[in-house]
Amino acid sequence: MKRLRPLAVAAGLVLLAGVPWYGSDVLVQFGINALLLAVLAQGWNIIGGFTGYPSFGNSVFYGLGSYGVAIVMVQWHGSFALGLAFGVALAVVFAFVLGAPILRLRGHYFAIATLGLAQVMAAIIANVPLAGQNIGLVLPPLNDDRMFYELALTLLIAATATVYWLTRSRFGFGLIAIRENEEGAAVMGVDTTRYKVLAFTLSGTFSALAGGIHAYWITFLDPESAFDISLNVKMIIMAVFGGAGTVFGPIVGALSLSGISELLSSEVTRVAGLFFGIVIVAAVVLMPRGLADLARRGRRAGWRYFIENIRANRL
Amino acid sequence: MDLLAQVLANGVLLGGLYAVMALGLALAWGVLNIVNLAHGSFIMLGGYAAWYLFTWLHIDPFLGLPLTAAMMFALGYALQRGVLNLIVRAPMFNTLLLTFGLDVVLSYLAQIVFSADFRTINPPYAGSQLNLGAVVLPVARLGAFTAAIVLTVGMWLFLLHTRIGRAIRATAQNLNAARLYGVEPRHLYALTFAIGCALAGASGALYGTVSQINPYIGATLTAKSFAIAIIGGLDNPLGVLVGGLFLGLIESLTALYIGPTWSDVASFGILVLVLIVRPTGLLGRTA
Amino acid sequence: MNALLEVDRVTRRFSGLTAVNDVSFTIGESEILGLIGPNGAGKTTLVSLISGTLEPSVGGIRFQGQALTGVPAYRRARLGIGRTFQIMQPFPGLSVLDNVAVGALFGHGGASGNLASARDKARSALEFVGLGKFISQRAESLGGPGRKRLELAKALAMQPTLLLCDEVMAGLTPVEVDEVVALLRRVRDRGISVLVIEHVMKAIRELSDRLLVLHHGEKIADGKPDAVLSDTTVIEAYLGRRRS
Repeated sequence: MKRLRPLAVAAGLVLLAGVPWYGSDVLVQFGINALLLAVLAQGWNIIGGFTGYPSFGNSVFYGLGSYGVAIVMVQWHGSFALGLAFGVALAVVFAFVLGAPILRLRGHYFAIATLGLAQVMAAIIANVPLAGQNIGLVLPPLNDDRMFYELALTLLIAATATVYWLTRSRFGFGLIAIRENEEGAAVMGVDTTRYKVLAFTLSGTFSALAGGIHAYWITFLDPESAFDISLNVKMIIMAVFGGAGTVFGPIVGALSLSGISELLSSEVTRVAGLFFGIVIVAAVVLMPRGLADLARRGRRAGWRYFIENIRANRL
Repeated sequence: MDLLAQVLANGVLLGGLYAVMALGLALAWGVLNIVNLAHGSFIMLGGYAAWYLFTWLHIDPFLGLPLTAAMMFALGYALQRGVLNLIVRAPMFNTLLLTFGLDVVLSYLAQIVFSADFRTINPPYAGSQLNLGAVVLPVARLGAFTAAIVLTVGMWLFLLHTRIGRAIRATAQNLNAARLYGVEPRHLYALTFAIGCALAGASGALYGTVSQINPYIGATLTAKSFAIAIIGGLDNPLGVLVGGLFLGLIESLTALYIGPTWSDVASFGILVLVLIVRPTGLLGRTA
Repeated sequence: MNALLEVDRVTRRFSGLTAVNDVSFTIGESEILGLIGPNGAGKTTLVSLISGTLEPSVGGIRFQGQALTGVPAYRRARLGIGRTFQIMQPFPGLSVLDNVAVGALFGHGGASGNLASARDKARSALEFVGLGKFISQRAESLGGPGRKRLELAKALAMQPTLLLCDEVMAGLTPVEVDEVVALLRRVRDRGISVLVIEHVMKAIRELSDRLLVLHHGEKIADGKPDAVLSDTTVIEAYLGRRRS
């Protein structure tokens, strides 16, 4: 079983990488979207799942990455790669400048501060002429979904490799220790502030790259869509649904939820949205630790697993 | 100078309404430790309730306030007992997710049931104004402000002087305190959440008389309610009132001196700044 | 005996309340110093001031001759100060082994990022405290006594030169207390200085080279255990507590 795992992963990768060659256009487009969402969920996993800081500010990084690409390509006529680099640079600066003060906050307060930041950034960008104010920017179109698909897949692999590295490195152990007990981590020698800021930066870098790729693919962005908070919530839901703090949970969560929502939205968009809300509610109530935990413990306990989860958290 | 006076008056009128919007959020947060991301959607639902009461039954939105509040009270009680209660002891993060899920459900239901059209409640006095020297006060806004102040002060008196109010305040410190007042904790939680919901509904009705309602207004209103609760603190409705007025004034002044597109930067910037500088809120205790 | 730790006229106030008031003392190398006093005397605050969880309002602390003022907790840990918490604070979701491995990865001299060797160190620390059989359990599944030992193992895996033990014996049976006393002696025999907060009087008398008594945040006695425990001020402090 253990030995088969790398083989299964390799086979899955080949299958995924081949989609643009054998899949339909619709499937490739769905794939790009789903892969980018998986990158976002995986990136969020670093700060939210491993470090235990429920960031609602990752959509800020996403927005900065999108605008990085858009500004470089539209205003400065630079290349896409340069745009990605610029977007990442913006994200890193943002994480370093605001990370330290924001990451002193815990729980609700951290969540709300990051939520506030996302609103502030959207409002600021809407006033910056370089970013096209609230009208937005239109990027030069590039009709190469195959490239976008493979780029998104590569990014997801990079994000997942990073998260995998976290599970077996000193840095990752430090983050997990912070999540489990921050004060305890500090007296055992973990430089909590530096680690949190680094985790926030790393998490933001992946969000920014995903945002940059998405902007070029969609060729249009405005402040409202680039800093959309519900996108941030989506990445959280996907990570938590699959299993936050695990290596593959966020991917499973992102791909399965994207799939279900795609199937439904071909019927009625609003019903898909409604369904999304119901899934969130049901998942939080019935399986608050995600699919990964369900797979691990639910198999033995059966349906009682759900009852036990409710029993543990109700009044 | 006249312009400034007018802008200040607008800010105060807006601020009173903001305060009553945030009141329910602060209550649920302070007592149940639930940060309700669906709060804005409750405001939105209250607005629709008032709109339908007015459009179908010709009930004036101000006279219909008790009715709107009662409907939202029932909804809040049912939601707390039936759904939120299942996760009330879960980590804070799960409660955030759950209420966000509720928010999604409510706003999509609203789109399906009410359609995405903009609605405004237009009572006969909608266009009337009160002229106080250079300052013009629209009657509807003034009415909304007055109702908001009455509700906020009423809430303050209720928490101070009634048995249930005292039980609610005691429960904010310690869940078991509810029992000392002869109230079952689960009932008290549901009651508190329902009161918060009723206040949200009432504020939505008032909002509908001065602004437009559509299924998407929830998120911004939730965020503003946060800012107010953070500024004003969670333990005292009067603090929330100060927070609301503060935010209303800041937004109006920013719009005047810097530009209307910057007012959101100001309000959310202040939220973040307050959190960074003084995480316990500008006034008094937060959770 | 050289002083490993020097606490120099340290005061700590919490909005109006003075938890620790003008306390000075030293701990020598390979010394076991017992810290006793009634509840609320400021013992845990004092430990937090040394470990860096709190900063003193007035006064200074030196460790191996180096001033600790402004040095954050994590750096003090890397300098060689390990502590246990009175209220046990494991990393609940991690295995017992990984709880301790964090100490080996980040503690004193733990600059190496090698997870395997950290786990080896953790394993031997767990063997040392008698938790060798529980390494793969989740920390939250341990009972009270187990968690006390886990706290010790976590601190020991940091390879400290100074170990601060905040009530590691509370709630243990007499047999378990004797085991922990023996354990701490062996810790000292490794050349580690130990500061022990304890209420179990018999154990602390047996264990300590020196006793320090805090009362209302002030030091009221410092000396050989037998002399300190027969001191009238000390007896009054304790009896006074009983009377009230």
